[in-house]
Amino acid sequence: MTSPYLTALFLSRTLWGGVPMTLVFAISVVTGLVMLVIFRYTSNQQAVKLAKERLQAQLLAVRLFQDQLPVVLRSYGRILRGTLRYLRVAGGPFLLAIVPMTLLIVQLDHWFGMEPFRPDQTFLVKAQFAPNAPLDEATLQLPDGLVADAPAVRIASDSQVVWRVAPAKYGAYQVNLALNGQTFSKTVVVGSNMPRLSWLRTQSFWEGLLSSAEPRFPKGGPIESIAVIYPARDIAFLGWQWNWIILFFVLSMIAGFAFKGILGVEI
Amino acid sequence: MGLKTWIAAAGILLAGVVVYRAFSHRSPAHWEGPQRLIVLGIDGMDPDLLQKFVQDGRMPNFARLMQQGTFQKLTTAIPPQSPVAWSNLITGMNPGGHGIFDFIHRDPKTMQPFLSIARVEPPKHTIHLGSWSIPLGSGTAEQLRQGEAFWQILDQHGIPATVFRMPSNFPPVKTRSVTFAGMGTPDLRGSYGTFTYYTDDLMTATGAVEGGEIVAVQPENGRVTAHLPGPENSFRKGSPPATADFTVDVDPTQPVARFTLQDQEFVLREGEWSDWIKVKFTLVPGLVSVEGISRFYFKQAHPRFELYVSPVNLDPRNPALPLSTPAGYSKELAEEIGGPFYTQGIAEDTKALSAGVFNDAEYLQQSREVLNEHRRIFDKEFPKFKNGLFFFYFSSLDLNAHMLWRAMDEHHPNHTAESAAYAGAIEQFYTQMDQVLGEVWPKVDEHTTLLVLSDHGFAPFYRSFNLNTWLLQNGYLKLKDGADPEQGEYFTNVDWAHTRAYGLGLNGLYLNLRGREKDGIVAPGAEAEALLKELTEKLLTVRDSGHTVITRVDSAEQAYSGVHTALAPDLIVGYNRGYRAGWKTVLGAFTRDVLEDNLNPWSGDHCMDYTLVPGVVLSNRPMAAAAPALTDIAPTILAEFGIAKPQSMIGHSIFPAAAIRSQNQHVRSQSQN
Repeated sequence: MTSPYLTALFLSRTLWGGVPMTLVFAISVVTGLVMLVIFRYTSNQQAVKLAKERLQAQLLAVRLFQDQLPVVLRSYGRILRGTLRYLRVAGGPFLLAIVPMTLLIVQLDHWFGMEPFRPDQTFLVKAQFAPNAPLDEATLQLPDGLVADAPAVRIASDSQVVWRVAPAKYGAYQVNLALNGQTFSKTVVVGSNMPRLSWLRTQSFWEGLLSSAEPRFPKGGPIESIAVIYPARDIAFLGWQWNWIILFFVLSMIAGFAFKGILGVEI
Repeated sequence: MGLKTWIAAAGILLAGVVVYRAFSHRSPAHWEGPQRLIVLGIDGMDPDLLQKFVQDGRMPNFARLMQQGTFQKLTTAIPPQSPVAWSNLITGMNPGGHGIFDFIHRDPKTMQPFLSIARVEPPKHTIHLGSWSIPLGSGTAEQLRQGEAFWQILDQHGIPATVFRMPSNFPPVKTRSVTFAGMGTPDLRGSYGTFTYYTDDLMTATGAVEGGEIVAVQPENGRVTAHLPGPENSFRKGSPPATADFTVDVDPTQPVARFTLQDQEFVLREGEWSDWIKVKFTLVPGLVSVEGISRFYFKQAHPRFELYVSPVNLDPRNPALPLSTPAGYSKELAEEIGGPFYTQGIAEDTKALSAGVFNDAEYLQQSREVLNEHRRIFDKEFPKFKNGLFFFYFSSLDLNAHMLWRAMDEHHPNHTAESAAYAGAIEQFYTQMDQVLGEVWPKVDEHTTLLVLSDHGFAPFYRSFNLNTWLLQNGYLKLKDGADPEQGEYFTNVDWAHTRAYGLGLNGLYLNLRGREKDGIVAPGAEAEALLKELTEKLLTVRDSGHTVITRVDSAEQAYSGVHTALAPDLIVGYNRGYRAGWKTVLGAFTRDVLEDNLNPWSGDHCMDYTLVPGVVLSNRPMAAAAPALTDIAPTILAEFGIAKPQSMIGHSIFPAAAIRSQNQHVRSQSQN
């Protein structure tokens, strides 16, 4: 029979995914609290309270007068109007929170959304060139610890060159792409912990803002972007594997609802 | 709700999930007796080859087991085909009891053939809306083997069991034991494995081949755009196959390419295999999809483009059809060994070799990778074994003896100088089995019984006997007027109104019996008896340049017992060593000649006279049975745990009765305590 200690260990590892889960939990709870406070001071709490009470009154009317169809139908109409009124008074502050939340998620995704490569795991380095750039002249310069284990694939129709690289040992590396005397670098991390990862380095402002943690390439250069696709990180929680963003949303909402009474916030 | 209420609610939810996950993981049995039983099921291990390799000093662990324990030939099934043989082992019954008589059965009412082990069916009722079909209900996967499996009986007695890749167990029967389906498990297309081969070689014939499909592609600016065929889309009228699109960008000069399939990209050099690639087939956009896994083999980049894609296997991490008990075990296993693995019942792609898509070296590479996968799983699972039963199945000896016998046999008509380079391949697979046995040895103590067994042995397959052509030439089967015998598949030109007998499957001969077959003409009773006698006598006189082709013919009535005997072929044809049913006759087609050289790479076989291809049984304990048979294995396993065999089992324990009695007493005393 399986040792109860092993069973407990198995259960604990699948129920609570170690350090990443702890960090996601802590960040979610803090975010939930902060969002609650922001909502408290950016919303008209009296108006929110009034909108909720009116909704509750109409819900009560539906229950009390369920045998009187005209009353029920009128109440449903008022519930619809009340819901729109609630969204009007609460929606603004919620929308206000979306911008910092999006930027927060983008930043956190560099830690929680991806895993570094393992030493036994080959990966692709994909360079997007400007149209008509001389693909044949591009060379990938790899540091000690990384080796190209297949010839480059030149795809003229897409202005792309793809290299397959095999890591030999742990480390944070710079791979350099040389072209026409210029060098373009990109970070690659081979490891087992939870470093900040950037899968893309690009010229584009928006792509850089939403997907990269590295300085942008100069505009108009021959290299538009260099990408490496890290494996997605799943976090164990309650026996299932989750994308961290789902956990973050659910846990921050639970935290918000749990603390709204203590902080006296009407949501 | 206040904070306390929220915390309490979260606590209750968490506790609920913990309890659910703990109990839904694996159901531990309660038996804690000391007796352990390890069974290594090695498909196709031949007693003569085993003894030869042992004598050559290539299998030291088997030599030790033979020396310290016992080794006997194991009487196989009638006919000695793997699904039949393993069903004998699983149920302790012969085919009359478990209902598996051949790889292929037919429905006498429609005369349509079907695979004997399992049936995967789409929903029975659908509503059609334009080009769409809305299924009412879900499809089913049904196992066709009848009778209780021995591990189900162990389960009823609370004895834990792990049974890995047992043939004829798809979908796995309901049990609390840990089991994984084996031979008979289909690919995502519902076949026993259908590869896809893409080429721009205009000289290659395209279309369906046995076990595969050859697709013509045309590179444009170095890019090949292609579709990987998947399962039938029952949501579409006519159920066309769902497809997954992919592109291959071949470097203009280097032998390397980038593959893009859905959200995955990978680079392969010429001659390289990909890892398992997840493939998603959309049945209803945005609503219904099904996932499988495939491996890509980039055979050639220049000058010709040649790409092999493996059959789309069920993904053990998210199987579209049941693969294991408990259901989550397949996912757990994939996580433990670091990724998905072959789940189709016959993983070695023998069909790709037969179709000329693989050469010997490529087939061997793929076959070795299959065995490596199985050994990785074995290495993870076996150390966990503590008590009860551990069964592990290996397919490699069987499939490689089928495909590479010609390499070591100079008399084979398909033995060539090129194939002779692989003359040692079968021996290498035997030595790998010896290494597995070496891993098992340290765990074999006084409380452990070890059984190493095979379902049948092996023999060369030099010449094909085309039973339907023989029946045609001898007046038992008639074709429609003017029909060309060599045209048409599956009895399409047969004149059933004047046909008295037909062959189907590897060993089956059926009478066209009135009241049973759709257009039967042979009267049951005396007429049928006389015809069976006549056919038997004539078949036994068939000669090939003086050599006897058929050494025995068994009638179902004499060979089988049990409630399903009526579904059996009327005669089971037992071929001599060197002979087997021809490829075309198996599926109801005809050839010009009754006897032909077998030039297929499939060059070794066992579907012949069962007395000529016994399996093996080895144990660390002395055996009492003088002539053990496959049907004895289930009673033996039950007896090892002190369980009386059910009446339906026809065999007996192969071990001495005294030892069983003492174990019975031990188990009883354990249970009383």
